[in-house]
Amino acid sequence: MSYFDNSMSTSSVSVQSDWFSRELTIPFFNPAEELFDELLVDFSDYCSTELLTFDSLKVLPIQLSQTLPRTIGFAFPESPQWTAPEPKVSKSVSIETKFEEHDDKSETDDAKPRKTITRIRPPGDLVRLEDRLYYVLQPPMETIIQSAKLTFPFQPFPYQLEGVAFLFPRDAAILADEMGLGKTMQAITAIRMLLLSGELKNVLLICPKPLVTNWMREFRQWAPEIPLAIIEGDSAKRNWIWTNPQAPVKIANYELMMRDRDVFETNSLHFDLVVLDEAQRIKNRNSTTSEIVRSIPRTRSWALTGTPIENSVDDLVSIFEFLAPGYLRDDMHLKSLGKATRDYILRRTKDKVLSDMPPKLFRPAELELTGEQRASYKSAEEDGIIQLSKMGESVTIHHVFELVLRLKQICNFDPATGASAKLERLEADLEEIAASGQKAIIFSQWVSTLDILGERLAKYNPLYYHGGVPSNKRDGVIDQFKNDPKNKVILMSYGAGAVGLNLQFCHYVFLFDRWWNPAVEDQAINRAHRLGVKQPVTVTRMMSLETIEERIHDVLEQKRELFNSLFAETGTPQNLGLSQKEIFGLFGLKVPKYQPKVA
Amino acid sequence: MKAGMDANRHNKTISLGFVTVRHHPIHGYFGGYLIVNSLARPLEFHCTLPVQPTRAQQILYGNTLGEFVCGEQIARALVTKAKGTPEVLFSDTPAVLTLRHMQSIPMAVIDSPDEANGSLPRPSCLRDNYHRFKAFGELLSVLPEFADDSERIKRLFDSDKAPLDLIEPFGRIEEALMEAHPATKAA
Repeated sequence: MSYFDNSMSTSSVSVQSDWFSRELTIPFFNPAEELFDELLVDFSDYCSTELLTFDSLKVLPIQLSQTLPRTIGFAFPESPQWTAPEPKVSKSVSIETKFEEHDDKSETDDAKPRKTITRIRPPGDLVRLEDRLYYVLQPPMETIIQSAKLTFPFQPFPYQLEGVAFLFPRDAAILADEMGLGKTMQAITAIRMLLLSGELKNVLLICPKPLVTNWMREFRQWAPEIPLAIIEGDSAKRNWIWTNPQAPVKIANYELMMRDRDVFETNSLHFDLVVLDEAQRIKNRNSTTSEIVRSIPRTRSWALTGTPIENSVDDLVSIFEFLAPGYLRDDMHLKSLGKATRDYILRRTKDKVLSDMPPKLFRPAELELTGEQRASYKSAEEDGIIQLSKMGESVTIHHVFELVLRLKQICNFDPATGASAKLERLEADLEEIAASGQKAIIFSQWVSTLDILGERLAKYNPLYYHGGVPSNKRDGVIDQFKNDPKNKVILMSYGAGAVGLNLQFCHYVFLFDRWWNPAVEDQAINRAHRLGVKQPVTVTRMMSLETIEERIHDVLEQKRELFNSLFAETGTPQNLGLSQKEIFGLFGLKVPKYQPKVA
Repeated sequence: MKAGMDANRHNKTISLGFVTVRHHPIHGYFGGYLIVNSLARPLEFHCTLPVQPTRAQQILYGNTLGEFVCGEQIARALVTKAKGTPEVLFSDTPAVLTLRHMQSIPMAVIDSPDEANGSLPRPSCLRDNYHRFKAFGELLSVLPEFADDSERIKRLFDSDKAPLDLIEPFGRIEEALMEAHPATKAA
């Protein structure tokens, strides 16, 4: 509808308005009579109108409303200066958050490259707008780090800053990066920033005992200004350390928690943050360790693990009993589980975030048993299956395990003659490796196997790293392996050597016998293939053909594919071991009706 | 140090204001205002409810509608509501500059590529006769009638470098607007 009737005469008139500080000149018009009411309706929403008479014309001056739009707003407390004390490390890098320096003669700013920024995002369980905006409006990680003058011994990777940004706002989180991607560094940096911002005052970090010195070293490297307290010593000393407020970060080990459980009750201790390293240690929720850890009074709960699902989804549910009790249920479907946990878990794999990292080269070593081994194996398997069948309903998973383990040992060495197809292959490979000046790690699940290998490979001056080596000597073994050129080989058990060690100077890994669980194998491999490695790591997985080893391998491959398809969306880790049904199925047996639960 | 610099120009005491207006094709205009300290940490945040000019306003203001809605309505509401008073107001929305006529804080628009400022477009502006100058690695514009603002802005920091990225806060404001008005995420 046109408000202007061109058949009527019009003139301009000056209009002064309280709203404007300047004059507006608008035409006034003499609308047709029938339009008056419409115009009044249109304009009356926001202004007052009066009909005036100007000469013989009716005119409609408009006085504009002064109502401003409604706003909502929040104030945030001024943050502290975030200036860290001067670190004692001599070499450090600071992160540049500003644009690269331009030559002043450059002609345009349009060509200026924009740096990557890593934002902190509010977790999904934050509901209040003010709380969500608090995190949305924080500056990027790079700006925070620079403004707080935080320095690092090495430049963090972008994915590591994302990991810190993931942890920073979360009360409950699992950092499940693949082994070797720097979970330790990310956790330490997040703790450092939260301490500096005043959001945390005291932190408890619980790890396996062999890793306590590793954590101390990492804190010295990544957050040298943070005082640490290690829970150790006799009962009186430990009690004093627990209650000492001087150290904002305390490090304890799982084994010790059982002894000191009363400390929390009698001293009314509370931690702003409890971090569990290798959190799969609490996958059995009924264990005493799990119960004690869950009972620690705390505000935030983080879990670090490369294998949140080691054997079954129950492992993940158990970890969540620590993070957010009652949040997950045992009967949840896999897909529901994935969706429910998506916001709490961050997992990256090397191939996704470190595309320029040297690769892992897998060399499957599929070997025929020697004649002696084959004869022993056949006899043992036939006898074993007959015995299992005779036991009927009284057969248990332990009986099956025993047979499996016996057969696997024969795949390593013939019990009568000591013949070994694997060793023959290993000796040939080691000759080449040693000749090129390189070193190798050899894993086995049996200390007795490692002892035999140590004798047979004596010319390479092997070192041992397994449960039989005293804890206080283990660091020395690693140092010697690293620095002494005479020691070409280190013999490790999966249990002792698979967790937490850094051996990235070593480029050859041999899995002399396979573990039940690919996750544990991956951990072992990642002792060498981790940040800092400069060359590809060659991994030789030894497997005896037409034996129980091959059957186990096939079942695990099937499970891996199935899990991949279910968890593809959520990115949840994919490692699973064998179920009871699968273990019985290795020998064509069915699970008896009544079976004791396996720990 | 540049001449005329005040004693209180220690970077750590300075607060800076960042105001932006975005236009959603369905819901209208949204404004956001963030005050930060010189460490880029947030001090205050304000945003408007959606503003949709009426048909009468569209007729009345014609080509100056952008300046009216963005500067005289939205930006004015935001700056008036805030408790803090920053040293300078930066904007990525040229139409907001008209606010300078109504208050005394120096104001400048930062030229920035669209992709640095999120998914919602900024309203267009009729004027282009700004006084342009370079400072802190950015190309800034002020109204010609307030050309002195350029000198006050240049003296803002102790050096030629700003202690924070002057473009980055606008990204935060847009994300905050999307948090406050979830309907805009569907655009």
